[in-house]
Amino acid sequence: MSKFLKRGYLTLVLLFLYVPIIVLIVQSFNAGVSRAKWEGFSLHWYERLFNSPSIMNALYITVTIALLAAAIATVIGTLAAIGMHAMSKRPQGVMMTLTNIPMTMPDIVTGISLMLLFIFTQVPRGYFTMLLAHVTFNIPYVILSVMPKLKQMNKFSYEAALDLGATPGYALRRVILPSVMPGVITGALLSFTLSLDDFTISYFTTSPLVQNLSTLIYSEARKGIKPTMNALSALMFVALLVLLLAVNRRASLANDS
Amino acid sequence: MNNMALPPWATWVMLLGFLGFIGMIALSIRRNRGVKRSLFAFPYGLWIVLFTLIPLLLIAYYAFTNKAGGLTLDNFKTFWDSNYEMRKQMLDLGVNPADLGIARGNVNVDTLVYSLWMAFMCTVICLVMGYPAALFMADRSFKLGATLVILFIIPMWMNFLLRTIAWMSLLEDNGLINTLLAAMGLPKMRLMYNSQAVLLGMVYNYLPFMVFPIYNSLSKQDRRLSEAAMDLGANAALTFLRVTLPLSLPGVVSGITMVFMPSVTTFFIPRVLGGGNTEMFGDLIERTFLSADNWNVGSALSLIMMILILISLTLLRKADPEGEGSGTL
Amino acid sequence: MQERPRLINLENISKDYGGVTVLSDINLYIRKNEFVTLLGPSGCGKTTTLRIIGGFESPSSGRVMFDGEDITQLPPYKRKVNTVFQKYALFPHLNVAENIAFGLKVAKRPKEEIRAKVEKMLALVNLRGYEKRSVDSLSGGQQQRIAIARALVNEPEVLLLDEPLGALDLKLRQEMQLELKRMQQMLGITFIFVTHDQEEALTMSDIIVVMKDGFIQQIGTPKDVYDEPKSAFVANFIGQSNIIRGVMVHDELVHFCGADFPCVDKGFGSDAPVDVLIRPEDLLIVGENEGRLNGLVRSVLFKGVHYEMIIDAGEMRFKVHSTVMQPEGSIVGLDVIPFNIHIMNPMPPQEIESLEEEPA
Repeated sequence: MSKFLKRGYLTLVLLFLYVPIIVLIVQSFNAGVSRAKWEGFSLHWYERLFNSPSIMNALYITVTIALLAAAIATVIGTLAAIGMHAMSKRPQGVMMTLTNIPMTMPDIVTGISLMLLFIFTQVPRGYFTMLLAHVTFNIPYVILSVMPKLKQMNKFSYEAALDLGATPGYALRRVILPSVMPGVITGALLSFTLSLDDFTISYFTTSPLVQNLSTLIYSEARKGIKPTMNALSALMFVALLVLLLAVNRRASLANDS
Repeated sequence: MNNMALPPWATWVMLLGFLGFIGMIALSIRRNRGVKRSLFAFPYGLWIVLFTLIPLLLIAYYAFTNKAGGLTLDNFKTFWDSNYEMRKQMLDLGVNPADLGIARGNVNVDTLVYSLWMAFMCTVICLVMGYPAALFMADRSFKLGATLVILFIIPMWMNFLLRTIAWMSLLEDNGLINTLLAAMGLPKMRLMYNSQAVLLGMVYNYLPFMVFPIYNSLSKQDRRLSEAAMDLGANAALTFLRVTLPLSLPGVVSGITMVFMPSVTTFFIPRVLGGGNTEMFGDLIERTFLSADNWNVGSALSLIMMILILISLTLLRKADPEGEGSGTL
Repeated sequence: MQERPRLINLENISKDYGGVTVLSDINLYIRKNEFVTLLGPSGCGKTTTLRIIGGFESPSSGRVMFDGEDITQLPPYKRKVNTVFQKYALFPHLNVAENIAFGLKVAKRPKEEIRAKVEKMLALVNLRGYEKRSVDSLSGGQQQRIAIARALVNEPEVLLLDEPLGALDLKLRQEMQLELKRMQQMLGITFIFVTHDQEEALTMSDIIVVMKDGFIQQIGTPKDVYDEPKSAFVANFIGQSNIIRGVMVHDELVHFCGADFPCVDKGFGSDAPVDVLIRPEDLLIVGENEGRLNGLVRSVLFKGVHYEMIIDAGEMRFKVHSTVMQPEGSIVGLDVIPFNIHIMNPMPPQEIESLEEEPA
């Protein structure tokens, strides 16, 4: 097959992926409300966006939950990976299976099961329960990013530190942790983005009074999305793009050295 | 935030557990007594029990009990016959439901079959679209491969609800496509609120999950293998069929897993693009729980879905024992 | 060799892993300033022995004595031994100087001292000026030297080396063998070296401990184990050998391949079955009918310094090394002088077979 055809095909597939996003971004600059008609360039949806308390509040909740959930999941998950790595084969296998359960569970079942838990234990659903739910689905991803780094580590590194007089605690802080750091960072970033994007699990574990962006969009979707949302998603898209490029640059720098 | 309040006991338990754990580690490090490293997995173990195992047990509990808390299989019977409860009550009152024209309700089963069919179609379309894309990206004469991977990832960074809603503005009766058609003097088309629109939304959302694992297994392939095949006299097509394709099958299996699993439980897309004419199993579960407020039947439906997913996962794992290509994101 | 005080004493050490015995009743003492090599095929227990001395494993039974003190339960970071690990185990996140300084930093030595010692160690391993380099940028040989420097900078009384040269190519290996020997003599400390390479063991060691299946087969100087192997296993593991079933007629006379050979060994009794060991270089090729045996030259291989010939004589197939080539298919005479015949107690037949299948 000729090169031209291959490239043409790839371009078409990418076009399919990007057209809705481009449309969405263009709409955010449209002066009118219509989704199909261009009524001139305007930043007025952006202005409205920053003046909308419900969107700003949802943004605040989304970002703080993503940050907190990523931080907590990274600590628990990294410790768990180190602990599991030190286990003998059988308990490690059991823990790995348990780790895989939430990853294979459909989001909707995870969300509903947590909702049942919170209702059953009479914990009012809101910010706190949403945070717990996000930590829960993030931890396995942290473990799965840290585990390979632990396995890659020279298995004598830890012993070498002990041999040179380091106590186990010192060896953990100064030898194991720095070696798995790239995995820890990957896990944290993955958690952050998963949390930022989550809808299904948040939907079941929060109350209508505490909305993150996804649940807010969902509740508005029926009434018809306002162009302010387009403005917000355009902004978030650009922010995430910058973040992704920074991470990628970091990764390629790490590969080069 | 008004609803942030958590019950006092939860605060205390959390705080005590956390402080206790930190204290334990600090103490054992201070004392130079080797901390047993496997203990580090303890908080996670606790977390799994509290937030994964107990919630799952709750689902199982509700699935096998009735509203009064007694053991029953009625919830699963309701899956098979959505009129089961009604018919049972009628029989209790001595009325034959058939006399009133109330037969077996097949809504639930039909929804499941429809979901499986949609997921299957979505997987097939993703495979047909995604395999060539992955193959061309992995082509070594094509230097942009790595950049293209990023280009495939970027759309996934946009909120999935918004991405789906964005299709609305393209497909609506007064949407972009119809406006274009009208401008060209062509009749408008009804593009939304049907199965095809839902399928389009699903393919759009899940296509990258098919492309990545296949790309991964293709780009890992030793190029000398295909060179060897050519050296042994196979032409390009034969080399692909006999060497490249079979060696990429683990990636294909991962891709199928990663597309099929979320497809079956698709939630929200049918509501936006199908406009409620096309309910899928995820929506049915949500509706049963929240609108119908029937936790017992909802739990039974969730359980059925989980079992279905476990079965298909086991089958797929058999085809790809090493789990290659999974976790490629 | 002068008597030096004993430093490490392994007393009745055994080790099982879930029912599998890896070490059976090991008794071994190591003197101060000695270069001791634990030699054996993989799975013989040599690395486990080393890890027990290092403190990374504890024995199932038995004691480890160090300078008269029982250190069996002492964790590795409290032992006065340091280890050079297989594949080095350098810390990838630290540069060369930080790797070497690790032990000193743990011991909280003053900065000035650390700097001076690191510099001195780098000089010792011939890598001056490499302080700031990342360890990943170094070649295998250089990483090897850093691993040695990292261990030696702590001035251990004993250095443990676990197959440290395994990953290097032949030439570098031979260079490092000499250098390790030089360092050991210069520093005057004990080296315990683990390897499966008999040549390495012969080149460097004061004492070789040959191990197999968790048992010690023989302890002795390189010359002892080469010239006077205690069993066919040791003989075959250390250098190539011809091992022949024979009968000790009486002291100083052994019968094999249909002929009587005078030898120097005594004390095996009369008409007792024995194993006879003859090194390939000790078999003399003479003219037909001029030696005690006649044989047919089956094949000839040029090995650089010498030719290796396979010669069938009587029921036996001999491996012979000689600087003079005999053409394939020719008939030659074979002989051996009494001093070069070594008599050993016989091994069970299946072990002889396994030796023939995979010669070391």
